Amino acid sequence: MVWAIVGEILKLMVLAGLGLAGILVILLWMKDLTRKATYLRLFIQVVSLVAIYYLFTYPIWLLAALIVILAMTLVIGRFFCGWLCPFGFYLDLVTLLRKAFKIRYRNLPEKLNRALHVLRYCLLIFFLILPFLLTPINPWQWPLSLFLSGPFKPIRVLIAPLTPLIVPWTEELTAINGVNLSYPYLDQIIAYSSVDLVWIFMFIFVSLTLASSFFMRRFWCRFCPTGASLAIVNKFKAFKGVPALHIYKEEEKCTKCGICKRVCPLQVTEVYEQKGGKINTSLCMLCFRCVEMCPYEDCLKVKFAGKTVFKSRNWLEPPESE
Amino acid sequence: MLEIPQKEIEELQKSIKTSSQRIIAENIERMKKTSQNRPEAMQYFDEISNFFGQREKEIQAAKENGKKVIGYFCMFAPTELILAADAIPVRVSSGWYDAAKLGDRIVPVEVCPIIRSTIGAKMISLSPYLELSDALINVTTCDGMTKLGEILSDSKPVWTMPIPRVKDSAQATRFWREELLTVKGQIEALTGNKITGKKLKAAIELTQKATKAFRRLQEIRKGAPVIMGRDAMLVNQTYMWDDITRWTEKTEALCDELEKKAREKNWACPPDTPRVMVTGTPMIWPDNWKVPTLIEEAKPQGVLIADELCSSERLLYDPVGVDEWSMDDMFKAISERYLMASTCPCFTSKDGNEDRINWLLTKVKDWNINGVIYYVVRGCMLYAMEYTRVKRVLDHLNIPMYYLDTDYTREDVGQLKTRVEAFLEMLTARIDI
Repeated sequence: MVWAIVGEILKLMVLAGLGLAGILVILLWMKDLTRKATYLRLFIQVVSLVAIYYLFTYPIWLLAALIVILAMTLVIGRFFCGWLCPFGFYLDLVTLLRKAFKIRYRNLPEKLNRALHVLRYCLLIFFLILPFLLTPINPWQWPLSLFLSGPFKPIRVLIAPLTPLIVPWTEELTAINGVNLSYPYLDQIIAYSSVDLVWIFMFIFVSLTLASSFFMRRFWCRFCPTGASLAIVNKFKAFKGVPALHIYKEEEKCTKCGICKRVCPLQVTEVYEQKGGKINTSLCMLCFRCVEMCPYEDCLKVKFAGKTVFKSRNWLEPPESE
Repeated sequence: MLEIPQKEIEELQKSIKTSSQRIIAENIERMKKTSQNRPEAMQYFDEISNFFGQREKEIQAAKENGKKVIGYFCMFAPTELILAADAIPVRVSSGWYDAAKLGDRIVPVEVCPIIRSTIGAKMISLSPYLELSDALINVTTCDGMTKLGEILSDSKPVWTMPIPRVKDSAQATRFWREELLTVKGQIEALTGNKITGKKLKAAIELTQKATKAFRRLQEIRKGAPVIMGRDAMLVNQTYMWDDITRWTEKTEALCDELEKKAREKNWACPPDTPRVMVTGTPMIWPDNWKVPTLIEEAKPQGVLIADELCSSERLLYDPVGVDEWSMDDMFKAISERYLMASTCPCFTSKDGNEDRINWLLTKVKDWNINGVIYYVVRGCMLYAMEYTRVKRVLDHLNIPMYYLDTDYTREDVGQLKTRVEAFLEMLTARIDI
């Protein structure tokens, strides 16, 4: 009992420490205008990771979380992918590691990048159909239990990227010294692979995702099926006007210097190619890296419900003059 | 190159040098006269603007210490790479009128006078920076520049960099990056210094600081005129040959002074003076100062608020935006800054040179321009041919634009004066209404 309380206190202290570190990072980097959104994003990612950890202590809430996230997408686009998704956060950390080593990143050919975007819809459809293939639907079962342990369990693949690295529940396979480790999609791998090969599959999956993201920025996010469920909302013409949070480009201010295209971690080219107006693409995860790096004042803007929240500015100027 | 008797060279050099020094002094004198309460920080730029003064000696001394000097004609030459290799970049395009006449002996008179003048300057070893450079980077932007490199390669190593004419395609970027890599190798071979990531980062930070000061100066000019256009142009131009660190410091100091003046409402000329923007062929110190002088000394007076010249406000406006400080990304950033951010008329796309037109519109709107002077020298095809497209757009905005065609000559000053004054009179009338 006492140890449990000590454990809780330790957890809280770790969380508080993480939060403080985030604030410190922001304060340190406030001076660098080209990193403002980036570090704010890192901070929010840490906070959301913590929040999601607590969600995991009550698995039933995960369903609610998924619904909320999907509904939010209607309003704020794929904001979730860029700012809240824990898996995206791990990949960002891998990128930070690569940056520390000053190793160059690789880019995918543009066509392949778009093809991967199509792949994500295929994956989404596959996972939606899977439950029907595995078991006939049993209408008497309570819908939520269907989702958590019943035939609809495969849909949980959609919330798999939300998995924190340390999970509250006990899963015998991945518990090391009493700490329950996990990683996005490990649940699914454990569920679907035979017992003999599960370790090999887990190892292959983790190392592949990490290695690919080490060399290609946010590689997984380019075909993540969860991203698809979010992106699909942006895909339809009928919803074109809906996302209240979007990037807006002022045509006249642009000299097509290409910075926005180069710094985009998902290699989105629309911001560069589109002549002006609202940038509407389901590839974009709204990390606003392009906006913070654009050196022309007012050229790129982040608009929320018609109001400009953040815009590109002459980032060479010191913050005092802002 | 054409053989000229040594004696004639010496005579010509001596006479043009003397007249040039006189013209520099006269230009500065006239600039001082036009500007009410001229900023004191301009003193430094007046001094450094003398081609045959302090800076020439400095470069000479640096050369004796083993530093290399690399000259360039178009602003596409990657200054960061030159700085990273511990060499001195100087822009050696020439603005001497008399030298242009000499250039006629080698190339026909129809050729753009900037080219002719540069050739003429080389013939009689007039330009100190051109003489001091160990190698020249020649970017084949227009026909003149393409062949200029060829002609000068008789006397100096010239590194030619072909530039794609359509800039926003993947293959263009790739091609240009390869070109930069070649030049990087050439720079390293000449200087014997390897360009490392650390050095390149330092060089990029150096130019970013300069860009910051440069942009600050342009920002200040958005308000009521605290500095005359010619003064600002001179500041911008001295960057072409000055030491970059010192130039940045001095420009920041100038900006401090100007901001103080703006707070005290200490204008350089009456705030209701027509605000003019010049765009077109580069205007190069010292001789080719004709048009800005005419605009600012005309009656009614106009004030140059902004320009879209590659010899002035386009030089440094675009920063190198580095995402990650890896060698690869820094290199990409440099190559994109030079190729893609440029609004040179040598580029085209299926929609015309829309980047340049967009940028002109931004300048006109943000800097509250009353009228635009489209300055073209004879033989400058690219700028001349883009005129109608630019005019069409500015007509929509109801901004008057005037096409001013001239040459490297002093003979048409009287005639130009009448034309400029008529234009300014029209602008004044429009402001009054």
